[in-house]
Amino acid sequence: MNFSRILHNVNYLFSVLLFLMGLYAVTVKPNLIKKLIGLNIMETSVFLFIVSIGMVEGGQAPIVTEGVKTSRMVNPIPQALILTGIVVAVSTTAVALALCIKLHEAYGSLNADEIIERFGS
Amino acid sequence: MRRLLITGALALVGLVLLYGVGKMPPMNTRLAPDKTHVVPRYLEKGEEEAGAKNIITGIILNYRGYDTSGEVTVIFSALCAVIAILDREKKGRSRSGVDASAIQTSVIVKTVVRFSLPVVVLFAVYVILHGEPSPGGGFQGGAVIGASVILFTLVFGLPVSTRRMPPGSRIPLESVNVLGFLAMGFLGVALGVEFLTYLLPGIHGALADTVRSLMLTVIEIGIGVGGGVIFVSIVFTMIREDQYELQQDTA
Repeated sequence: MNFSRILHNVNYLFSVLLFLMGLYAVTVKPNLIKKLIGLNIMETSVFLFIVSIGMVEGGQAPIVTEGVKTSRMVNPIPQALILTGIVVAVSTTAVALALCIKLHEAYGSLNADEIIERFGS
Repeated sequence: MRRLLITGALALVGLVLLYGVGKMPPMNTRLAPDKTHVVPRYLEKGEEEAGAKNIITGIILNYRGYDTSGEVTVIFSALCAVIAILDREKKGRSRSGVDASAIQTSVIVKTVVRFSLPVVVLFAVYVILHGEPSPGGGFQGGAVIGASVILFTLVFGLPVSTRRMPPGSRIPLESVNVLGFLAMGFLGVALGVEFLTYLLPGIHGALADTVRSLMLTVIEIGIGVGGGVIFVSIVFTMIREDQYELQQDTA
């Protein structure tokens, strides 16, 4: 593994760190809301990763204006894809929160372990 | 023991990811594969082909219009799912205790929100309408609209904002994003060209550009208003359910 290359791609490094933080929250925390927050952190790490791919040194926004050369613009495709990704992330979070509200109504708790325990009985 | 196992698994995942990242071409290079294939064409011909100065808007609404029509459907499905899980407010099924309760908020907060809300909504309208020549667009503007109404609800309480935005006026607006997109898409089909073609047959020259930017604006407004209203409805539904539960607990 080339270490200097990872340092050069510092955005990728931090998206990996964010992803691990999110994964930790999703797997370890018993509270469902905390799991959801972890899921959102993981989504954010993926957004950071994909938007970073499109980066250009000294790049300009991909909007056609006078005096801005197209060769200096950043890659617009990752940004367009991430716009879609953010909307989908918000939608899934909304549905998950609705399920959390219903679960809390039924079990009086948001602790996943407690809910699983009581589910069988 | 469990903690050790989880740490080990996380480290393993991290190593695999780092290995993959280490193999990536460095950022900033113009020779990376993501910038050498289709992107130069989008950047050079985007304005002419997609009809928007903002290349991202052109990609979202034109080059990848199918993708966006699916995305619009996803937000709408999210609203449908939330309403299916929780309860929609309806006439005759009003939960009087919830619908009449008011929130205690300080005068300062109320006044600040009163003064800033018109500006926020004006900004949202600007963002929606200027998605074509500048940063912005329907989704972003819709998010600002939704956030402004949510702020109002948090400060003044659900009853006041339900009175301002009753379900009767929200329900027809919730579907304008999907319907607007499909209407503009099928306009081309009705005139004998492909789905989501903005250059209609029989219209040429400067008029074609005007018609195209008009269609793009209609889609943007639909996405913005529909998206904003959908977020508002989701939040209203959740707050209602939550307060209802609280009331059941105390009763």
